[in-house]
Amino acid sequence: MRGILRGVVAGVLAAGLMTGPAVAQDYPARPVTLIVPAPPGGGTDVFARQIAEAVEPILGQKVIVDNRAGGGGTVGTTLVSAAQPDGYTLGFVWNSPLTTSPHSLTVAYTPDSYAPVMSIGYSSYVLCAAPDFPAATAKELVERIKAEPGKYTYGNDGIGGTMQLAAERVFAKLGAKVRPVPFGGAGETARNFLGGHVTFYGGSLPPILPHVAAGKAKCLLLTSAGRNPALPQASGLDDIGLGAEETVLWWGLIAPARTPPAVLAKLEKAFMAAAETDRFKDAMDKQGATRRVLGARETGALIRSELAALGTVAKAIGVERKAQ
Amino acid sequence: MESLGYLMDGFAVAFTGRNLLLCFVGCLWGTAVGVLPGLGPLAGMALLLPLTFKLDPAGAVIMLAGIFNGAMYGGSTTSILMRIPGEAASVVTCIDGYEMAKRGRAGAALTIAAVGSFVGGTVSIVGLMAVGPLLADAMLTVGPAAEFVLMLTALLVVSAVSSSPPVKTLAMIVLGLALGTVGLDQLTAWPRFTFGSLDLTDGINFVALSIGLFGVSEILLNLDEAAPQVPRAPRLREMLPTRQEIREAAPAVLRGSGVGFLFGLVPGVSHIISTFVAYAIEKKVSKTPEKFGHGAVAGVAGPETANNATTGASMIPLLVLGIPAIPATAILLSALLIHGVQPGPLLMSEHPQVFWGLIASLYLGNAILVVLNLPLIGIFVSLLRTPMGVLAPLVLVICLIGVYSLKGSPLDLAILVGAGVVGYVLRKFSYDVAPLLLAFVLGDRMELSFRRALTISDGDYLVFVQGPAARVFLAVLVLIGGLQLAAMLLGWRRRGAAAP
Repeated sequence: MRGILRGVVAGVLAAGLMTGPAVAQDYPARPVTLIVPAPPGGGTDVFARQIAEAVEPILGQKVIVDNRAGGGGTVGTTLVSAAQPDGYTLGFVWNSPLTTSPHSLTVAYTPDSYAPVMSIGYSSYVLCAAPDFPAATAKELVERIKAEPGKYTYGNDGIGGTMQLAAERVFAKLGAKVRPVPFGGAGETARNFLGGHVTFYGGSLPPILPHVAAGKAKCLLLTSAGRNPALPQASGLDDIGLGAEETVLWWGLIAPARTPPAVLAKLEKAFMAAAETDRFKDAMDKQGATRRVLGARETGALIRSELAALGTVAKAIGVERKAQ
Repeated sequence: MESLGYLMDGFAVAFTGRNLLLCFVGCLWGTAVGVLPGLGPLAGMALLLPLTFKLDPAGAVIMLAGIFNGAMYGGSTTSILMRIPGEAASVVTCIDGYEMAKRGRAGAALTIAAVGSFVGGTVSIVGLMAVGPLLADAMLTVGPAAEFVLMLTALLVVSAVSSSPPVKTLAMIVLGLALGTVGLDQLTAWPRFTFGSLDLTDGINFVALSIGLFGVSEILLNLDEAAPQVPRAPRLREMLPTRQEIREAAPAVLRGSGVGFLFGLVPGVSHIISTFVAYAIEKKVSKTPEKFGHGAVAGVAGPETANNATTGASMIPLLVLGIPAIPATAILLSALLIHGVQPGPLLMSEHPQVFWGLIASLYLGNAILVVLNLPLIGIFVSLLRTPMGVLAPLVLVICLIGVYSLKGSPLDLAILVGAGVVGYVLRKFSYDVAPLLLAFVLGDRMELSFRRALTISDGDYLVFVQGPAARVFLAVLVLIGGLQLAAMLLGWRRRGAAAP
């Protein structure tokens, strides 16, 4: 009760201090905090820092990156959702805490708790086999795994994680059964795949690319709809008629819900411009990510459709917790 | 011979003024984060990663590798002086290093640690050059089943570390294994013992747990003592190891180099395992095992050498396969990818200046670090002159800040303090907390590899005796287990015979 009272008092005070339209015009009047729900040093952190640098001259303010790792990104996302909706606390996230974690963890946010601002692009997951695996194309791969249900194994980034759900989403449509073996990340998966301990590598592109070049792996199927220039021999889901089942790793910007629409519009414009700068384009290219800059509306639609689709998969393979 | 020529080219890269400066800055910063409890090599490297965006790839990895190396040197400082592990690799140094300090031999312990680090670091770089690609291929044969057997062997070897009776050791191991189960289960996506806390889905923070169990408990124990002993100010002569100490340390340094290098290939937990195993081996081969836990020189020299040897070895999977096996090398990978350099089988031919520049800078960093660290010893030791009443609260605050700075998680602070209190109680009842920590680290990975192996084999337990790697580890396990059993039986018989 007291908490509510305090909130109301604070709200009234805050409302008294700033008047609606002036806020958007003056925004940003002080440095903006960009919460990154991942530890420093990983891919999400690197992109966050580079887009922060690119957007600073556009916004005319400092953008401070604040790493709040934990719970597969859910800790930081919770912080963003609960932050003051004034445009001074934003979140640079990857899709997992938004569309994957809510199925297996009890999180305090829904797509209504935050406002999507924009997204920068994606990195596909890929399924690779040893060079002597009896399939040379994605079509042959599909035939093989359908012919031998439960015989093959694929390494992935963790049961109930985005990579595994991305793969299961495709397997479910194909009616195929491949046994998932979870590892601590794509690097560990690559090691176990190269050692012949699992049939397929399942994970992001960078760890496996050098081994494709060295002839130790052949990548056959991406989880993106389209193909990827780094792996010309791998089919996209479009090629096997399942383009609608695309699940990739993507990155985007969110703000707390109820952030003033004018501020959101300003942020959307600024960050989309930042994503188009040469430096940022170069950064994404070097890390093997595909640029696909989407605005608030498209990003929001992507979140909701992905959340629903992965929820169906999570339920089907028994990792969904909501019912309990 | 050809590689020697490349190495010379590497030195040419490393010896440019800018790269030399980067290496020095990395070493200095690494020593600092190593000394500060909480901040370890991982945090130290991650914090400076954004700076490397603007460097060239060789400069970036040279600086980051300097931090990694430096943290291994600095980590022993607080372990020896205050029984607070500066980072995970220095946990085991707390045991005998601190005992040495209590006996006025802090300077000697720090000197031995620094020189041992230098030897271990240098040996591992030579090893990395000579047999790196070979070992990387061997490493690939270790699948989940073999990894499980390996972890089990490590647990068995290391149970010998404990100074308390077997029953108490077993209790600590079980407690450690139990604590290791907290978090999101990777195989079912179920949160276990998290009580709805999203923070806990990552498991209990190891850094907070280890600093609490070792460091905070020590501070509490000190408060207990009616008149805390104030260590005397050391004179220069007391800072240098005696001839006897050198004799004890030298073979331990050699063994530590080998152990550290080999165990550097164990994914995920290489630094912790290698230091514990080095300690266990020293205790086993020592003529005076009873001195361990009471300031044994070899108990400092072995592990402190091993952790630096591990650093070089842990670069092998990254450089040869392009796959980081531990979080710190994952940051190195990040730094390379930012510049579009993809490590892997082709790194040596595609980016020789990065590969050989890095190798050369590792040699160079070792030399810089030993020169940097030896004079610091005097300064660190004189810190001990500060009265306990001033030092203890100060150190406690540094621990709290260090742990909080990792993730900004209040829960970690609660774990730190809680572990401190629990550690205090356990040590009051003379339970050794080292096996708890090790079991905590190993338990999680052991369980995962056990269940992964069974997932792959579709429930067939024979998977643990299949494949060359699993068989080799199994043979070692049986051998060590048999020896320990035999020693135990022999001990009983002797005791039986001695009793009239």
